[in-house]
Amino acid sequence: MATAVCFDNVSKRFILHHERPRSFQEWAIQTIQRRANMREPFWALRDVSFSVEQGEMLGIIGENGAGKSTVLKLISRILEPTSGRVSVQGRVSALIELGAGFHPDLTGRENIYLNGSILGLSKREMDRQFAAIVDFAEMERFIDTPVKHYSSGMYARLGFAVAIHVHPDVLLIDEVLAVGDEAFQKKCLERINELRRLGRTIIYVSHNLGTVEEFCHRVLWLEAGAVRGLGPAREMTSRYLLSVHEKEGKVALAAHHAQVATSDSGPPATPEPSSNDRTSRRWGSRDVEIPAACIRNAAGEEAYLFESGEAVAIEIAYRVHRPVEEPVFGIGIYRNDGVWCYGTNTDIDGIPTSGLSDQGVVRILFPSLPLLEGSYTLDVAVHARDGYPYDYHRNYCTFAVRSRVKDAGVFRPPHRWIIPYTSEKMGL
Amino acid sequence: MLSRLAELFQYRELIKNLVARDLKVRYRHSVLGFLWCLGNPLLMTLVFTVVFTVLLRSNIPKFPVFLLCALLPWNFFSTAVVGAINSVVGNEALINKVYFPREILPIAVVLSNLVNFLLASLVLLGMLLVFRTPLTPALLFLPLVIIVQVAFTLGVGFFLASVNVFFRDTAIIMETVLLAWFFLTPVFYPIEVLPQHYSLLGLDLDVRRLMYIVNPMASLAASYRDVLYSGVLPGLDFFARTAVTAFAVLALGYLFFIRTSRLFQEAM
Repeated sequence: MATAVCFDNVSKRFILHHERPRSFQEWAIQTIQRRANMREPFWALRDVSFSVEQGEMLGIIGENGAGKSTVLKLISRILEPTSGRVSVQGRVSALIELGAGFHPDLTGRENIYLNGSILGLSKREMDRQFAAIVDFAEMERFIDTPVKHYSSGMYARLGFAVAIHVHPDVLLIDEVLAVGDEAFQKKCLERINELRRLGRTIIYVSHNLGTVEEFCHRVLWLEAGAVRGLGPAREMTSRYLLSVHEKEGKVALAAHHAQVATSDSGPPATPEPSSNDRTSRRWGSRDVEIPAACIRNAAGEEAYLFESGEAVAIEIAYRVHRPVEEPVFGIGIYRNDGVWCYGTNTDIDGIPTSGLSDQGVVRILFPSLPLLEGSYTLDVAVHARDGYPYDYHRNYCTFAVRSRVKDAGVFRPPHRWIIPYTSEKMGL
Repeated sequence: MLSRLAELFQYRELIKNLVARDLKVRYRHSVLGFLWCLGNPLLMTLVFTVVFTVLLRSNIPKFPVFLLCALLPWNFFSTAVVGAINSVVGNEALINKVYFPREILPIAVVLSNLVNFLLASLVLLGMLLVFRTPLTPALLFLPLVIIVQVAFTLGVGFFLASVNVFFRDTAIIMETVLLAWFFLTPVFYPIEVLPQHYSLLGLDLDVRRLMYIVNPMASLAASYRDVLYSGVLPGLDFFARTAVTAFAVLALGYLFFIRTSRLFQEAM
């Protein structure tokens, strides 16, 4: 198959002018005052190489500032590379510019033709597409109204309709699907899917890993202007999520330790949480201390990303500073919106803990953790049987669960369907 | 370079639509839009005629015709240049979002002002009839003069449109420059008032000749006047020099624009 888009060692440098003169006046003032024009090069992309086959849908993921939009702008020729070569076969249309170039005083009809010619179409081609565009945008009644009277939703709908009907060979999409109501979004996705089936080349930038996985054949993962990975969609999104969570985990852990360090130096730690807010991180008398805890996967590796239903173990290291009678170890799992998903401790589960050595590790193993997809935080604690806290870590770390099944709620109890059900068949 | 021009040709539909957009927006808003485009030169003719024939007692025959022959081309030039200066900056949203040959923007502005110029020329036609100025075969030369002026206007427009992206006060500076330029161009006075011998620091200067050399708008005004007011052909070598200058300005302005246009997006 032929190549539709090819990046060959492409780098893009921006010069950040801290005090670039914007007018002759400023320029004169700067020259007189002999202020140096601070120039700071910034590499938005560095040695990026990849190619997209015709008919392929490529997703681009990465954190903000990773260079995703720069890639799109290079493909659409808005920017030129500093070095390297960008080659594109055929007409490019970008869904980044919904309604860019609409003139408020012109009617919808006039703007459709204007927008079409901005995208490089002839009048005849536009004549052929006109009815379909109006129909798609659901605008029959307003097509001869100046667009300044349109709502922002109508504006975007018309922009989307034009962009998607110009029959681009390469279609660029940058997170525009947050446009219009849900019904229109669904329509957009359907149309994109249709174009994909028709064998158009599509490059899709999104933070929504779900749609990226669903639609894209391959995914390009950018990090700080460089290619971090390029491969099958699911593999890339998993690796990306994992890295994000590791980073978040590290940040959370660092913040946690910073706070612990400051509270250690102060007066004896408060035995009660000062408030109910979920950010207050650690309290307790420290008769027994939890210096560290971690989450491991089935292979015994420290991990912060799991498939729903995977085996998960939580390990809590402890140190006894003052002998206590039967400390209770507990954990709590919260979803990132604050829903308390699960909590248990050694007392509830009736596990004796007397006669512990001065320091060691306790481990709780979930052969299957059936939480649904989402981000979660973990609390770990050790306290007395009456609830008096020795060491309570709130939001100790975060972890993520992903799932192929898109069911709803908090967790997935093991279940099966029997259809049709007849009592003879069932052993229940 | 050639591929650049070929691409420009592919985008002719866009040029057409942008010109149509400019005209529609200009004439749709005011009911009197079209009449206004005629009224403005009429009013200026009235004012200048009163000032020069009544107050200053100049004895130029058929002064309104004399004036309009140069005033309309000047108005075309100055509004087109002002429009071109803002054409790139004013379409920032478009430049940030879509690729198309950027030179289309000043081109469309100049062309839509050309249409206005042709419409406003109806006033001149009226004046020619009112003052019974004979229309001679020299009139056939008029399209050439217009083409040369479009070339010169485009060249200046390209250059300034680009400069304005980097130095935003270009538009303000040019307002003043254009006013001075207007007075320095023989629009409401005949070039003959300029001395052919003027002594400056011991140098004998032919100011009239200098004016034609330095200011292509003066040469163009003279050509329009030859063709329309006097009914004769402009001196061919004179006109050829003007044309060469105009196309040289166009070529330089275009090259400058193309060179700098790749930096537009980052500068905005």
